[in-house]
Amino acid sequence: MPPILSLHQVTKQYPGVLALDNVDFSLDKGEVRALLGKNGAGKSTLVKILSGANQPDSGEIRIDDKPVSIPDTRAAFDMGICTVYQEMSLVPGLTVAENILLGRWPQLRLGAFSMIDHAKIRKIARGALDQLEVTLNLDEQVSRLSIAQQQLVEIAKAISFSPRVMVLDEPTSALPAGEVAVLHKVVRRLAEQGHGIIYVTHRLQEIPRVADTVTVLRDGKVVGTIQVAEATPKRIANMMIGADWQPTEWGAKSNPGAVKLAVRHLNRKGWLNDVTFELYGGEVLGIAGLLGSGRTELVRAIFGADAIDSGEIQVNGTIVSHPSPNRMKANGIGLTPEDRKRQGLILPFAVLDNLTLASLNRLNIHGILQRQRAQGLAMGMVESLSIKTASLSVPTGTLSGGNQQKVVIGNWLNTQPDVLLMDEPTRGIDIQAKEQIFHLVRDLAQQGIGILFISSEIEEVLEVADRILVMNRGYLTHQFRRGEIDLETLMTLVMEEIGHGQDTASTSPASVAAPHA
Amino acid sequence: MVKTQQVRAQPALLRRTREFIARSGLLVALIVLFGLLAIFAPNFLLPTNLFNVLRAVAVNGIIACAMTFVIISGDIDVSVGSAVAWSSSLLGILAITLKIPLLLAVGIVLAQGALIHMGAGFIRVRWSIPAFVVTLALYISLSGMAKVVTNAYPITPFPESFSFWGQGYVLGIIPVPAVLMLITIAIFQFLSTRTVFGRSVYSVGGNEEASRLSGIPVGRTRIIIFALSGLMAALGGIIISSRVMAGVYNVGQGLEFDVIAAVVIGGTSLAGGSGSMIGSFLGVLFIGLLSNGMTLMGVPPYWQEVARGLIVLFAVLFSAWQKPIRK
Ligand SMILES: Nc1ncnc2c1ncn2[C@@H]1O[C@H](COP(=O)(O)OP(=O)(O)OP(=O)(O)O)[C@@H](O)[C@H]1O
Ligand SMILES: [Mg+2]
Repeated sequence: MPPILSLHQVTKQYPGVLALDNVDFSLDKGEVRALLGKNGAGKSTLVKILSGANQPDSGEIRIDDKPVSIPDTRAAFDMGICTVYQEMSLVPGLTVAENILLGRWPQLRLGAFSMIDHAKIRKIARGALDQLEVTLNLDEQVSRLSIAQQQLVEIAKAISFSPRVMVLDEPTSALPAGEVAVLHKVVRRLAEQGHGIIYVTHRLQEIPRVADTVTVLRDGKVVGTIQVAEATPKRIANMMIGADWQPTEWGAKSNPGAVKLAVRHLNRKGWLNDVTFELYGGEVLGIAGLLGSGRTELVRAIFGADAIDSGEIQVNGTIVSHPSPNRMKANGIGLTPEDRKRQGLILPFAVLDNLTLASLNRLNIHGILQRQRAQGLAMGMVESLSIKTASLSVPTGTLSGGNQQKVVIGNWLNTQPDVLLMDEPTRGIDIQAKEQIFHLVRDLAQQGIGILFISSEIEEVLEVADRILVMNRGYLTHQFRRGEIDLETLMTLVMEEIGHGQDTASTSPASVAAPHA
Repeated sequence: MVKTQQVRAQPALLRRTREFIARSGLLVALIVLFGLLAIFAPNFLLPTNLFNVLRAVAVNGIIACAMTFVIISGDIDVSVGSAVAWSSSLLGILAITLKIPLLLAVGIVLAQGALIHMGAGFIRVRWSIPAFVVTLALYISLSGMAKVVTNAYPITPFPESFSFWGQGYVLGIIPVPAVLMLITIAIFQFLSTRTVFGRSVYSVGGNEEASRLSGIPVGRTRIIIFALSGLMAALGGIIISSRVMAGVYNVGQGLEFDVIAAVVIGGTSLAGGSGSMIGSFLGVLFIGLLSNGMTLMGVPPYWQEVARGLIVLFAVLFSAWQKPIRK
């Protein structure tokens, strides 16, 4: 039986980058193929070629062994290839149901007139969501959904086409654990029904759960394709990186100094409930919590990005009144936001601009920009974070997802903050870069900076933090020091159901203890 | 629909030519227009005519500089025409009716121009009201105010020496307004490329939320942009008053559309985040040369308006055409 989809000698050249280099690839009916590779290896480029969003420079695509061309996304749909992109592509102002059927809304004909058949839209959309086993309000505006919910809408949209080949580009990078499991079930079911699936991810632990086979890309070339049974994390990592790779240990434990940031009785209705804690210089404070637990709202409130109802924020012992991002930055606080596309970057702007956005106010003499210094700072970050980019002047939007994430982090490192709030800094970052970022976080702590570290991957919090706060429904519910808790217990605490009438007394353990004790 | 995959690599030369045209399309269009007018419009090439064009576009050019900032930041300002009329009227009232020394009157007019627009900017920022709505309200009230204070009569006479700013020459041949325009463009070009403020303007227009979270004072930036727009409109009003030697309640009315058109032709995106002063300058020149040429060739004024409208449409289509090369 011929493969359902195959690529032969596909090449794609971008200015300064060979993104795909004579790639051969084939996918069978009912197969789930994990597509792996470092940031910038060419995974998304391959995905875009299959989805019709990009054209290869040379090579051939075959479906059922018949050569085809995919000139645009419409053609890809018609051929039964559906793609869920890494960077989301929903229309924020439309409803969930309208987005799922975007561009093919059924019409009601009334003589010469036609109007949108909303009942039918909702019916089809409902069917797609049911297949996913998620409940979402069909009439909710997409702009009001969390990123995770939006991701589910994307996937429902793809499913509604009943595709033959479904391509998922990092579908789980923004999903909480519970929904990841749901997604994996859906993927397996689609495979059993005979669909072919390409699944891009950086989370190696997902592979045995979801994939049958694994293909690794490196610098645009296929390194190899192996069965999932042979795909140990170590083997995959070696294939991705090209050398024998060992995650390094950091022995040095940091040594907390004075309180840098003190948060007292922070309240924001519906999101934050009497949150009180301290962050010490030289420590990494991890926040473990599910999406929607209030962790993002917490850092945004501290940073002055959202208004609070009551509470107090002290930086180095002085209260900051009317916090705003501008004022917080002046006080030495930085925030790397979770949504790089909307909050972290100006995608059409050059890498140089995005790496110096937050430090513009320091890079000038009497208001005149010092371009040499800006160049120097940006270049320094490109090197120390190994950002893969053709030059400093290319639009940041052309970088691969993981490299964009590094630009967000670099932008804030360039401000030389005293306290760095990192909201999901490892989203979409490859394992090697993740190690680099962990190192960086430890190094910064070593230099006396206080770091607040948020990650949906609880393993990461355990790995990097000196102290862990558990956040749940806007409350800080528990506090632990490094080594006091294992992954399993932490998981249960994070997911624990807490009552509505929770009083502040039971949240206090996190607020009293100091890391020294 | 199944076709054979073709191997397609765009020839480098073709791609580069296309890129060049896309980037400097307006310059090419300007040169072509210049050539055509040189051939077909009588007396077009006379130095006096060319300098006249420069004088005629000067006020638009000055206001277009600030408008470029406004549009790059993702806003729009439709009030500048009225602000010119109001400034001219106010100058007449202050200097002629109230007999305030001319220099002081000029200073007051410039300051109030910046202040009123600053207030509009504050409202825009504080209550997140679309700039279009705020400046539309300003447009209507300023135009009304101009008539209120002047009773819709021109106010004359200014002292003879005042004519220098609108009618005088530097080095015997270069009109003073043209010199003022070039200085303004140079300053704004510097602001936009070399200063933190200028880069903030682009950032705010490129992604307001990301800028805010990077600690850029978004509100302050927008208010300063508005103040600059008001200041330039007031300067425009003063130059026009000097040209007509009167405070006139309706001069400059409608120029906002020529200015916005010039900025858009110059490649500044109405979506915000990109654009350039040089582009706007070329846009202003283009519209100015076109009007001048059509007048020389005896095209009736109303038809000139139609032609200007079509040019704007064409320019927008052109910028849509040049997008695909980004891919
Ligand atoms: N539109 C573009 N213009 C120029 N270069 C591009 C463009 N899109 C991608 N690239 C480059 O092609 C290379 C491959 O990018 P791609 O997005 O395929 O990586 P990826 O494997 O998906 O990485 P990640 O894991 O970070 O998402 C990168 O070096 C990237 O900078
Ligand atoms: Mg990618």
